[in-house]
Amino acid sequence: MSRPKIFALLIPLLAGASLPAQNLQEFQKRVTEFTLPNGMHFIVLERHEAPVVSFHTYVNAGSVDDPKGLTGLAHMFEHMAFKGTDTIGSANWPAEKKAMDDIERVYDQLEAERNKGARADAAKVEKLDGDVHAAVEKAQTYVVPNLYPTIIEENGGVGMNAGTAEDSTDFFYNLPANRVELWFYLESARFLHPVYREFYKERDVVREERRMRVESDPQGKLTEQMLATAMAAHPYRNMPGGWASDIENLRVKDAEKFFATYYSPGNITMGIVGDVNPVQVKTLATEYFGRLQKRPLPDPVMTVEPPQEGRKHADVISPAQPMEFVAFHRPSQYDKDDPVFDVLSSLLSGGRTSIMYRDLVQDKKLALAAGAESQFPGGKYPALFFFYLMPGPGHTAEENEKELDAVIANLQKQKVDEASLARVKTRTRAGLIHQLDDNAGLAQLLSSYYANFGDWKKLFTSLDEIDHVTADDVQRVARQYFTTENRTVALTIQPEGGK
Amino acid sequence: MKTLALAFLPLLAFSQQAPVSNRVPPPSYKDLKFPALRQIQIPKVEEFTLANGMRVYLLENHELPTMRGLALVRTGNLFDPADKVGLASMTGSLIRSGGTTTKSGDQIDEELENIAASVESGIEEGYGSISFSTLKERADEVLGTFHDVLTAPVFNQNKLEFERQQLRGGIERRNDDAHSVAAREYSDAIYGHDNPFGWEMEYATIDKITRADVEAFYKRYYFPANIMLAVQGDFSAPEMKAKVEKLFGGWTATQPPVPPFPQVNSHPKPGILVAPRTDVTQTSFAMGQLGGLLSDKDYPALEVMSDILGGGFDSRLFLTVRSKLGYAYDISSSWGAGYTRAGTFDISGSTKSASTADTLKAIFAEIRLIQTKEVSEEELQSAKDKVVNGFIFNFDTPSKTLNRLLTYRYYGYPDDFIFQYQKAVQQVTRADVLRVAKQYIDPAKFVIVAVGNPKEFGTPLSSLELPVTELDLTIPKAGAPK
Repeated sequence: MSRPKIFALLIPLLAGASLPAQNLQEFQKRVTEFTLPNGMHFIVLERHEAPVVSFHTYVNAGSVDDPKGLTGLAHMFEHMAFKGTDTIGSANWPAEKKAMDDIERVYDQLEAERNKGARADAAKVEKLDGDVHAAVEKAQTYVVPNLYPTIIEENGGVGMNAGTAEDSTDFFYNLPANRVELWFYLESARFLHPVYREFYKERDVVREERRMRVESDPQGKLTEQMLATAMAAHPYRNMPGGWASDIENLRVKDAEKFFATYYSPGNITMGIVGDVNPVQVKTLATEYFGRLQKRPLPDPVMTVEPPQEGRKHADVISPAQPMEFVAFHRPSQYDKDDPVFDVLSSLLSGGRTSIMYRDLVQDKKLALAAGAESQFPGGKYPALFFFYLMPGPGHTAEENEKELDAVIANLQKQKVDEASLARVKTRTRAGLIHQLDDNAGLAQLLSSYYANFGDWKKLFTSLDEIDHVTADDVQRVARQYFTTENRTVALTIQPEGGK
Repeated sequence: MKTLALAFLPLLAFSQQAPVSNRVPPPSYKDLKFPALRQIQIPKVEEFTLANGMRVYLLENHELPTMRGLALVRTGNLFDPADKVGLASMTGSLIRSGGTTTKSGDQIDEELENIAASVESGIEEGYGSISFSTLKERADEVLGTFHDVLTAPVFNQNKLEFERQQLRGGIERRNDDAHSVAAREYSDAIYGHDNPFGWEMEYATIDKITRADVEAFYKRYYFPANIMLAVQGDFSAPEMKAKVEKLFGGWTATQPPVPPFPQVNSHPKPGILVAPRTDVTQTSFAMGQLGGLLSDKDYPALEVMSDILGGGFDSRLFLTVRSKLGYAYDISSSWGAGYTRAGTFDISGSTKSASTADTLKAIFAEIRLIQTKEVSEEELQSAKDKVVNGFIFNFDTPSKTLNRLLTYRYYGYPDDFIFQYQKAVQQVTRADVLRVAKQYIDPAKFVIVAVGNPKEFGTPLSSLELPVTELDLTIPKAGAPK
């Protein structure tokens, strides 16, 4: 889209929400965008209020891209990206490299023997398993552990972390503005010279993360079962952490291949927000990231979730108090009805005046908490719109589900009132305004909007789409998608004989 | 500033051209040269006191067309009566949801959400707060509602029953998440269950609370001389001053000064407390002992010690327990000092059931090490560098300056406390770190809470040679839901 058209869209739209037009123009004036010849895209927003800078690396690959049988691989690579490079984190790279190769060689033998299944020689497996452990410990002797993140922290880096979601892998931190070049150095180094140092120890850590987030958390278990039940074919059915046995068998060669395929420069968008000089940023970007070779873009996931053939159900036995999810399939974020789903979830659970809060939580006191998520677990592919219900004391999940059905039926029967619709739109707009003074948040938003929609300005123009949603749209979408055959219910139930 | 401008000069020559790099990246990150960091102007907070004793703090910030404010009230859960634990929490919620003399709670909800504004109220352990957030153009309406919520709440009985139901629901679900169980039971065990620092609300204590109790609690603590009001955002300070004077100048409620908060008097019984459960594959644990105050002379050295032990990616616990042993995803330690009451020294994390005892042993080994041998010069320098180089992030938004000032004033700390701290950290020596580790940490006194499945522990916890007691987390029943 050309610039003038954007302004034409934005000015009338935001005038009513008190974001003065000149502020928006001002915002756009402070944005510099460029793409390196290798395809890597940069969005730079100047905010000179304080000498600090936020960096956000948005990799357009996530757990949906995990190969078959290797769930958790995108997440595993995310962890490896903090292990340093050949020159950062090694006491003796040639020796370490050899020791790491030795691990793989012995591990290959172990795998070959194990893969014989029933015919495998147990004694040989045990011996090779011991050899792998010994090789891992040998390689460990050359490691300067955690040097990469330590450099960032010692230089005053804060908020350092990373995350793997279904659609993306994100790396981010903030630095004092005089250390901008350090980010270019370190961020380019980890994509130029990734090493798979301490891979098998980190695999244990990643396995622990799954124990923490899923296996030992009733809500995590329920979420995992909801996805695995509702989604039959599309990889959205797998949580980003992966399945236990897949994690336990991940290998270095898998991670290498994943990196080579999905971390192509054209698949990465950088958001940089703060006290920077965009000309300097551009020069540094060329100097540091220009060294990455152009590579083909990876294929998107071609599996399309087929239409659901009827109501589905999942129970999770748990001594925890009851929780229930009710999910319906919905199209991807590129569908024309995407903004309608956003409006629907806001109407249902945005704030104290929302339909579900008023009805289920406040007036009927059936639920301790109840609400809706418009898009889960991702947006790039057809996903789920889901409702959550946490029954209050003395009330059951069944009562809550019945009341939810009444709420849904009502949305389908009659149109929402204009006042509620207007309230949702006003709140959405204001919500964006409140986010505009946060470097880290903006770096994330600008890079992800670009990667997902091809234009960071979608962050603003999506408000216009929300504004055009009518009561008819809301009713139509509720009727079309919230149907019995499109429905999955997942709930926790108490083990027999109580706790 | 000068240094920066010079650094940019050669680069500007390229201006809008396609970027052409005439430099190559240095071989090592150590070769990078950083210019001095630009000095930051710390914003000036306008302060005054109204005739009724309310202290006011204003900070102009014109970046966005928004405003935010906070009334900080000297009260807290620490003032709960023993038989009505939960009264402060209930009061905090009901101030907002129960409506005012002119509007019902539901009306306020609608009016505020129609204009994308919010007013929220709550009471925590050591303070109460009522906050607002709004677009600038709606500031007058929202300030009016904020004023009414603060000065004229009516505590509607139906809403009281609603809040009671919410609190009961919280009690019912308090044992569902293993991590929060570990954190709560650890903290309660350190402070003791018989005092406001370590007791929990129960159905019985919630059910006893009446509307009269809530009203009395509010009256006792919500009066102008007991409140600090901070407002920041897109306004002119003199105009806002006039508005605040007009709005709150006529609020004449008075009460005797609020007494000091109770003191911690903790005598925890050392040992391991196990909360058994079968629905987990991991043990969540929290361990440690009573900590201290931020104002303690040794606080900076303790903070450095705790950072080296378990603060960041390069900490010893992270390196050993996570990176080398692969036993845990989350593992950290925190000295956790409080402003006016002793905090807790915490080491917490989680590990697969089978490595529970081994993980605890690895942690004890690290504690013994930091108590017997000086940390390395590199470790000390690294801890200091983090504080010095990251110092700017204490000042990167105007609101941090305002919030800090408010916090220091609330707890009676000097305005420049953060600068004193930064200076003190620079003076910490390796000998100091060893001294405070020996002086303040006593593993023999540790309380350890482990929430997990003992049948799968493999090595039993008794191998740690500490007394092991099973925790009873049964929630006491009391009456039927209202």
